[in-house]
Amino acid sequence: MSIAVDHADRVAETTDSRGRLEVRGVSKTFTVNGAPIAALNDVSLTVAPGEFVALLGPSGCGKSTLLRLIAGLDRDYTGRIVQDGNAVTGTSLERGIVFQEPRLFPWATVRQNIALGLKNAPISEAGKREAVAAHIALVGLDGFAEAYPHQLSGGMAQRAAIARGLVNRPRLLLLDEPFGALDALTRARLQTELQRIWAHEKITMILVTHDVDEAVFLGDRVVVLAPRPGRISRIFDVAAARPRARSDDALIRLRNEVLRTLEHDGADDGKAGQSNRSGA
Amino acid sequence: MASETTATSSAAIGLRRGLVLPLLLLVAWEAGSHSGLVNPQFLPPLEKVGQVAWQELANGELPYALAASLKRDLLGFALGAGFGTVVGLLLGLSRIADRIFTTWFNGLKQIALLAWIPLISLWFGFDEAAKVVFIALAAAIPVILNTVEGVRSTSTKLREVGEVFRFSPLQLVWSLYLPAATPSMLTGLHLGLIYAWLATIGAEYFMAAGPGIGGLIISGRERFEMALVMLGIVVVGLVGFVVDRSATWVEHRLVRWRTA
Amino acid sequence: MSETILETDLGPARAFAARGWREWSGNGLVSGAIMRAKAAAWLLIVPAIALPVWIIGNERGWLAEQILPRPADVLHTLNEMLASGELAQHAGISLLRVLLGFAVGAGAGLVLGAAMGLSRRVDDHVRPLFTAIAQVPALAWIPLAMLLLGIGETLKIVVIAKAAFVPVAMNTSAGIANVPRALVEVGETFRFTPLQMLRHVVLPGAVPPIFTGLRYGLTHAWIALVSVELLASSEGLGYLLVWGRQMFWLDTVLVAMLVIGVIGFVSDWLLAGVEARLQRWRTDGV
Repeated sequence: MSIAVDHADRVAETTDSRGRLEVRGVSKTFTVNGAPIAALNDVSLTVAPGEFVALLGPSGCGKSTLLRLIAGLDRDYTGRIVQDGNAVTGTSLERGIVFQEPRLFPWATVRQNIALGLKNAPISEAGKREAVAAHIALVGLDGFAEAYPHQLSGGMAQRAAIARGLVNRPRLLLLDEPFGALDALTRARLQTELQRIWAHEKITMILVTHDVDEAVFLGDRVVVLAPRPGRISRIFDVAAARPRARSDDALIRLRNEVLRTLEHDGADDGKAGQSNRSGA
Repeated sequence: MASETTATSSAAIGLRRGLVLPLLLLVAWEAGSHSGLVNPQFLPPLEKVGQVAWQELANGELPYALAASLKRDLLGFALGAGFGTVVGLLLGLSRIADRIFTTWFNGLKQIALLAWIPLISLWFGFDEAAKVVFIALAAAIPVILNTVEGVRSTSTKLREVGEVFRFSPLQLVWSLYLPAATPSMLTGLHLGLIYAWLATIGAEYFMAAGPGIGGLIISGRERFEMALVMLGIVVVGLVGFVVDRSATWVEHRLVRWRTA
Repeated sequence: MSETILETDLGPARAFAARGWREWSGNGLVSGAIMRAKAAAWLLIVPAIALPVWIIGNERGWLAEQILPRPADVLHTLNEMLASGELAQHAGISLLRVLLGFAVGAGAGLVLGAAMGLSRRVDDHVRPLFTAIAQVPALAWIPLAMLLLGIGETLKIVVIAKAAFVPVAMNTSAGIANVPRALVEVGETFRFTPLQMLRHVVLPGAVPPIFTGLRYGLTHAWIALVSVELLASSEGLGYLLVWGRQMFWLDTVLVAMLVIGVIGFVSDWLLAGVEARLQRWRTDGV
């Protein structure tokens, strides 16, 4: 609750238009055993402030690679990545990331883990304490603040990781298959939570996933990537109103269409087809 | 961070960097011993060491000493490994044996290995028997520890499989505990080999009768022949290296199922 | 003992010791007391059989005094040496040597290990020479060191320092180098400065292996002390062993072994306790 107030102030002082991301003609090549392998080929994408974009594709399509480039963890690529007018040259507190594995520091409690995210944030110690407590509440981990990571279930650990990714109030939150390792029930619950948090915080989010239902349920747009080399194959707009229900007919129809696209991509896999765009 | 160098060139850089210090050291050594800055009795020139090595090889002293050391090393290791495996299995499999003996074993283990030498030499003299007993003791300790650990760490899941198939106790040991404990037991044997070699040198230092590399080093010290002492140390290191590498190789071959 | 082993190789030994620590510092007063009493009862079986055999064997003469002196004699010698302060003096000298040598060796090991773990360049330069030196056990260096340094205190400190140096340097460099890349990346996304990275990511992750290295270092230092005192000393516990051996005083030899064992046991037990506490976040609380 206190976040709403806190956050509203900070959003007010920095206009809502921030959190815009532009990816222009990005290509990335790995060298494996001396042979070059194209992981991403000429990927371009614009993400509007406050938008929720789902990057969907089979394994090996380069979606996680793209996310690492956006995060600034990997700077060896060609093309341009620009956030709010500034070229991405490294990691930034403006961009948070939640990894597939929670990557919590095993020697630190939940509270300490989240607080580490604020190490270099320009706010007072009292403000930090408040923000940490508020984020523990936000992800529903009250009562587990002093728990060590090994004492948490997979779902709880991932909640803590999401809180740590959010605590800096980044303009852009990158999520790299954050629910991939969780059971179906926990995953569904966290997806709903994430939708709530996104609606509440108005942060731009980019979610990498290979789960079609997840992409369609959460995304404003679903960007389908095709493998070898990784490229954008098609972009779907998800028109359904929020908060969404999984049983929504429009969502189910769209899901089937996305699945067909994925199957098609798989069928002519290898032919670097034209990237065709269409709305749904 | 930005650009990855290829594997081959970084290995080459590593090799080049690794050679700098040893080469500098050798140059300083040669310069020191030839210039007279350092008493050559303390630091004999490299060629002197090489000459002594050649001499000891040619007159058969070195091979003779090495063969004697290796023989007692392996004999002691075989005895210690056999004894250690039996004791380890007993402690690992039997709750009663574990309760009665494990704490005492842990206590005895704390006595620094070389502190056993005076007692062993009082009991067995300075001869071959005493040395072999000491080497066996050194080899047995890690074998016991790792065998116990291997047997105990057999997972409950596997044990339940055995129960479902109604294995007899003997079948349990033979087809479940032993295979599950093998990697750990091999680690124990590997460590036992290393300890045994160390104990061989120790035994030859303190029970200085009969041929051996340790005896060679000690006599070199008594006669103030630095070159001979250095030669002995290099041989000790080389044998340890070869033993360790071979054991690693054997270990990897035997537990291939673990990684493959 | 071996100079070429890392943390993992002695895993079982550590698990053994850690279990002991947990049993003894166990919680639950009554059930703990009962469990301890039971464990003690089992423990008494060995002395209950061995002591009578020893005593009767000595009396009947089929266990010669040159093989094993009477338990009463050993106790008497222990008492006498305790009362005269002789034992305390020898043990004190040995302990002082170990502490000095360990401080020098472990300090150097921490510095070099940290440099090797943090910098690829340093590691490339130092690793081959370090491995070569580590390959030769401290025991084998003693005769060479005796020629160079004589048989004074310097010799003891240098030999003990070398023995402690190797495992400390190895485990420190491995501990630092093995801090998971995944966690370093988390630090990068929070724009940690190099100092913050060291303080919040590298050190917490590396402390347990570094401590393990310190523990091995102390064990190795203790073994090296006994070796060097056996070969060249006129005081200390190792000297007591040699002296007893030369005089055929088995009781003195046994007393010296007992003290060496007790000191080894206590120090290892204490360090195992500290180690278990340092790694609390790895498993459920001790």
